[in-house]
Amino acid sequence: MKIPVSEVEWRTKTEASETEPLKTCGKNKTAACKMMMANSNPVPKLYRSIIEDVIEGVREIFADEGVEEQVLKDLQKMWESKIMQSKAVEGFVKDTLNPSNFVLQLPANFSQALQKTASIVIPAGQNVQNFTTDMNSTGTSATFTLPPGVGYPVQIPAGVTLQTSSGHLYKVNVPVMVTRAPGGQRILQQPIQHLAEQRNQVVGQASIVHPNTIPVQATVIQGFPSQRKEVFQQCSTQPLLQQQQLVIGQGVQPRPAAIQQPIGIQQQVPVSQVLMQPNDCENHKSVETPRYTQQQAGVIQGSGTPPLTSDQLSSLDDIPDLQQFITNQSSDTIEMIHKDGGGGQGVGVETSSKSEYGDAKTSNPEYEVECSSQVMIQTKDFNYNAIEDILQLDGTYDTSSDEDVGNMREVGGNEFVGENEFMGAIDTEDLKALEEDRSSSTEKSSSDGEDDEPRVEIIEEDPLNSGDDVSEQDVPDLFDTDNVIVCQYDKIHRSKNRWKFYLKDGVMSFGGKDYAFSKAIGEAEW
Amino acid sequence: MEPDNDVALDIIITNVVCVFRTRCHLNLRKIALEGSNVIYKRDFGKVLMKLRKPKITASIWSSGKIICAGATSEEDAKLGARRLARCLQKLGFKVVKFTEFKVVNVLAVCTMPFEIRLPEFTKSNRPLASYEPELHPAALYRIKDIKATLQVFSTGSITVTAPSVQFIGTAIEQIYPLVFECRKTRT
Repeated sequence: MKIPVSEVEWRTKTEASETEPLKTCGKNKTAACKMMMANSNPVPKLYRSIIEDVIEGVREIFADEGVEEQVLKDLQKMWESKIMQSKAVEGFVKDTLNPSNFVLQLPANFSQALQKTASIVIPAGQNVQNFTTDMNSTGTSATFTLPPGVGYPVQIPAGVTLQTSSGHLYKVNVPVMVTRAPGGQRILQQPIQHLAEQRNQVVGQASIVHPNTIPVQATVIQGFPSQRKEVFQQCSTQPLLQQQQLVIGQGVQPRPAAIQQPIGIQQQVPVSQVLMQPNDCENHKSVETPRYTQQQAGVIQGSGTPPLTSDQLSSLDDIPDLQQFITNQSSDTIEMIHKDGGGGQGVGVETSSKSEYGDAKTSNPEYEVECSSQVMIQTKDFNYNAIEDILQLDGTYDTSSDEDVGNMREVGGNEFVGENEFMGAIDTEDLKALEEDRSSSTEKSSSDGEDDEPRVEIIEEDPLNSGDDVSEQDVPDLFDTDNVIVCQYDKIHRSKNRWKFYLKDGVMSFGGKDYAFSKAIGEAEW
Repeated sequence: MEPDNDVALDIIITNVVCVFRTRCHLNLRKIALEGSNVIYKRDFGKVLMKLRKPKITASIWSSGKIICAGATSEEDAKLGARRLARCLQKLGFKVVKFTEFKVVNVLAVCTMPFEIRLPEFTKSNRPLASYEPELHPAALYRIKDIKATLQVFSTGSITVTAPSVQFIGTAIEQIYPLVFECRKTRT
């Protein structure tokens, strides 16, 4: 495993790797990129599993001994709190998040947006996220896979389509901040029901959403200081299923919502409304007969990114329907937007009222983000029938590996494999001496060596004890750091004063942080 | 200290090996776990401890016998050995003594200003010198009384190993005239 990188480095990698594949994505609209970020942190999971295993293991013993269960719980809590206090582990959150692969699909023309939105910003202190990007021939957009156990809140740039592991698709038109809110679920229940009804009605029909007639109401997930907004479009596989539309809009210029897409038409009606900031992603709406996908063409972008082509739409066929759930602050009315129509205007609405389809474009620049109490995206708390872990920003992640252990002191119970180094040592020493160019004056201590021998025993015994100045071993004391590695070794090799370490399966505390590795290679000079 | 002949030859001491006893049993495992700069050779029942200051490597046995090698002078060897004993004392073996210190072996190199004809040299020093070019490029010359072994190379370089530095000097002095006779003169 590589040596884990700090947050700073991680971000660097994030940005770098984000832009590169997106450039290719931009050229090829149907290209889907997966970006691979190699910055996951397996340590919290590892520690958590260790804690759980130990607690389970001693549960019986505690019971046998007559110790209360509460004591066991206290033990666990103390353990966890100590780990968190030590800050040796990043993102060691008490509540375990449901890991689920959360795949972000970016529209083809997302590159611009993403480039400008830079990397997905994770607030400090959150878990590292992994984004995997691959060239996906079938996909039409960049796909991000976020690792499990990601901490909330998480920012998602605009133009991202989020797909949960269950396959539901959420289109993010506005930069979103995903957090957890306990109350969000309830809020969405109603709209979902309503949407379900609407959908049933709408199925097979082309519905047109007229601009200005449908005030788009989006539930604001969270506002961005940057005033980007994202619209989450959620696709559900079945119309009967509860569908969510999560749209976060903010700072979008109001425009007449003009998202009109007859069902089955693989084209998108450019939605003139809501424009997010030019850099933001665009909303796309694609309509599919059985499923609902909304796309807004070129809406939110200042750039003239074309709407998703039919290719994209077809690629989205496999994706469950997208629904937009838009609530805005500005308006209290929530109208159902048919599948086709996507009212572009974001209207502030209380989420408690009906939900709306449509792309959420915040209509009001002063649109304020709903407070976090209305966080729509939840992880565990959602109980939608169809969608379980919405916007769980989890995904596969790599394990990092250590290299260059450097001057780490190894604390392990293993003994070194013996080599017959004694003779070798002498030989190497001799050779080394021969190699080195030492010119010393001809020292010929006459008979000191031998004459002193009978006297040695008498004299030397005393001086040794009092000769404190003889032993000046301060150099090793500098070595005493708190960096410790506990591991197993495959091979330890030494040539003269060059050491090579081939280690495996270990944990280390380095710079106050804990890391785990399955393989570590180190070189050192003594 | 002893006068060379007319020529001043540089004798370079490359290695000094010495031994001493601590007069007490040593717990190798404890040394290996708690000491710094140690290598535990469990299969051989010894611990290697390397020192930086006088660059020495010491082999420590549980009986308390310690062999110290790598020093460049006898003084250095003694100093290093004492430091080593001090180190063991600090590790917790209070009973450590520094007794029976003895320099066992000294390795030195000396270069003649001329090249040597080894077959001729070997022939003229028949019992003491042996030369097998197929095995080793140097002629081996042993001096019994001082227990010195010299390797004479055709380049003029001579390697001497002897029990002490003094004997090395003696050995060089002994070999010089013999080698001088068999030198290669530039033609």
